[in-house]
Amino acid sequence: MEAIIKADRLSKDYKIYKDHKGYLGALRNLFDRRFTLVHAVNDVSFRIYPGELIGYIGPNGAGKSTTIKMLTGLLVPTSGEVQVNEFIPWKDRKDYVKHIGAVFGQRTTLWWDLPVRDSLELLKHIYEIPSDRFKQNLDSFRAILELDAFMDTPVRSLSLGQRMRADLCAALLHDPKLIFLDEPTIGLDVVAKQRVREFIQFINAKRGTTILLTTHDTADIAKLCKRIMIIDHGKILYDGEFDELIKYYGGSRVLSVEFAEFYQDPTIDQAKIIQRDGVNVIYSFKREDISASKLIHQLSEKYRIRDLEVQDQAIEDVIRDIYENQLLYN
Amino acid sequence: MRRNLSLLFRLLRIQIRSQLQYPASFVMEVLSQAMILGFFFVAFAVTLSQFGDIGGWTLGEVALLWGLAEFSFGMMDMIFSGFDYDAFGPLVIKGTFDQLLLRPVNITMQVLGSRFVLRRLGKIIEGLIIFIIGLSLANVDWTLGRILYIPVLIFCQVLFFGSLFIFGATTTFWTKERLEILNVFTYGGSEIMSYPMHIFPRAIRLLFSFVVPAIFLSYFPMVYILDKPNPLNMPVFTSFLAPFIAISMFWLSLKFWRFGIKNYQSTGS
Repeated sequence: MEAIIKADRLSKDYKIYKDHKGYLGALRNLFDRRFTLVHAVNDVSFRIYPGELIGYIGPNGAGKSTTIKMLTGLLVPTSGEVQVNEFIPWKDRKDYVKHIGAVFGQRTTLWWDLPVRDSLELLKHIYEIPSDRFKQNLDSFRAILELDAFMDTPVRSLSLGQRMRADLCAALLHDPKLIFLDEPTIGLDVVAKQRVREFIQFINAKRGTTILLTTHDTADIAKLCKRIMIIDHGKILYDGEFDELIKYYGGSRVLSVEFAEFYQDPTIDQAKIIQRDGVNVIYSFKREDISASKLIHQLSEKYRIRDLEVQDQAIEDVIRDIYENQLLYN
Repeated sequence: MRRNLSLLFRLLRIQIRSQLQYPASFVMEVLSQAMILGFFFVAFAVTLSQFGDIGGWTLGEVALLWGLAEFSFGMMDMIFSGFDYDAFGPLVIKGTFDQLLLRPVNITMQVLGSRFVLRRLGKIIEGLIIFIIGLSLANVDWTLGRILYIPVLIFCQVLFFGSLFIFGATTTFWTKERLEILNVFTYGGSEIMSYPMHIFPRAIRLLFSFVVPAIFLSYFPMVYILDKPNPLNMPVFTSFLAPFIAISMFWLSLKFWRFGIKNYQSTGS
C-alpha cells in the first residue's frame, strides 16, 4: 500500500531571538537579531498509511507540534522532505489544505463571535462543500457529537467540551482523507473525553479517515491507537505497536492490600513493597515471576487480609518511565 | 478572485449583521463619534477665525483638506480593520494566524474579512460634513478635471493609509509587539494631511514627502483643485502623482505582506 504521509529526514531548527523589552524594545527586536539555534525536530523519517490511527506522543517541547506544523504546511522544514498524497504541504498550501482537517485542542478553528451554525455554514463555502454532502455530514456529526444543544450559541460562550465537539465537526465536514488532532482531549472532563474518543474511533473505523493524534493522555493512546510514535528531543525514539511497547517495558502489576491488623514486616517472595501506610501496603510484581492468584494465596496464608485489588501498572507510568529513564535510547 | 470576493462579502455581511444587532445603540455610537471628532474642527475653525487664514488658506480651503483626509482615513479604518494592530497583533501572538493558513482561501481576504468596524462610519460622516462645509465656503473654479479628481483622491488616500496599515501589521510577524512609531505615520499622517503643508517646518515636510509621501496625496493635489500658489515651488505635475504613489505603495505593502507570511512559515511563532 502506498503511504499517505512520507516524511524523510525531516528537520526543523528554530532561531530563538534575544527579546528586548520596554521602551523601543519592539524596534530593537527588528534590528538586533542575535539568536540561539534549537533543533526542534531532528532528522525524522516515517511513513503513515491510509486508514491508520497513529498516536504521536512525547513530553512537552519534544517536537510534536513542530512536526504537525510541518505536516500541515504551516511551517517550512529546515531540511528534509514531506509528501502527503501528491502534495508538498507548504508549497501547495491552498490546494493541500482542502484535503486535510486539523483540530488544535488549544485553539479553535471556528469564528469566535459567530454561532456554531454560522461558523459551519462559512466552512461550507470556504471548502466548497456540495450542499447535499454538507447536509449529510452535518446531520451525522450532529447526532454523534450531540451538537444540537448549542448550534445557535456563539463559539466564545461554549464550554471547552462543546467547543471541541464543534471543532471536530468543523474539521470533518469537507470529507478529508487525513486529519491531524493535536491534543483533542486536553482539559476535558471524563465524559467529554469519552465522547471525543468514541467519535475519533467512529471516523477512523467507519469512514477510513487516516488520523494522526498527539496527546498527553495515555488513556487516549491505549483506547485508540494500535501504532504509536514516540518523539523526544526532536528524535523519534519508538515507532511500532503500542502493545509491544507495553509488553516490553511495562508488564509490572500492582497489588494493593488492606490487612486486618498491622504487621511489622509483611514481606513476601517475588513481590516488592512500593508503598506502605499502616495496614495499607502496595506490592509490585512481574507477571512472569508470579501470578496474581498465587501471590494472593501466599499472602493470605501468612496474614489476615481485609481487602485487596490487583491492577496493571498504569500505562502512564510506563510511558513516564520511558521518558525519564530514556529507556529507548540504547 | 471571484470566489475570494464572494467569501469576503459573506464574511463582511456576517460582521455587519452582528454589529447591527442593537441598531439604536449603534446609531448613537456613530453619531457621538462623529460629534466628538467634529468638535476638533469646530475648535480649529474658531481659532482660525481670529487670524482669518492659515498660510494663505481660508477656513473653507482647509476644510476641504481636512474633510478629505478624515473621510478617507475613516473608510480605510473600516475596510482595513483586520490589519489594525489591535486585531492583527493578537492573531500572530496567540498563533491564531495558523488557522488562516489552514483554510484553502487567500490569506489577505481572510484578514480583510476578519474584522469590519462599522462604527468608523462616525469618522466618515464627520469627514463628509466637513468636506461639504469646505465646498460651500471655498471659492473653487470647478472644471471637469477638478470634479473628477476628488473621487480619485479619495481612492488614493484609502489605498495610501491602507498600505501603511498593511506595513504595520506585517512588522508584527517579527516584533510580536506594537511598533508605536508606526502610529506617527498613520494617525500622524492623516493629521498632517488636514493642513496646508507649507505651514510646517521643513523637517516634518521632508518626512512626509520622502519617507511617507503624504504630501502628494492631499496638499499638492489640493493646490491644483484650489488653484493656489505653490510656495514650495514644486513643478505642476506633483499635483497628479497621487495615483502613482498610492498604487506603488499599496503594491509594495502587499509584497512586504507576502514576504512576512513567508517568513512566518519558516520561523513559526
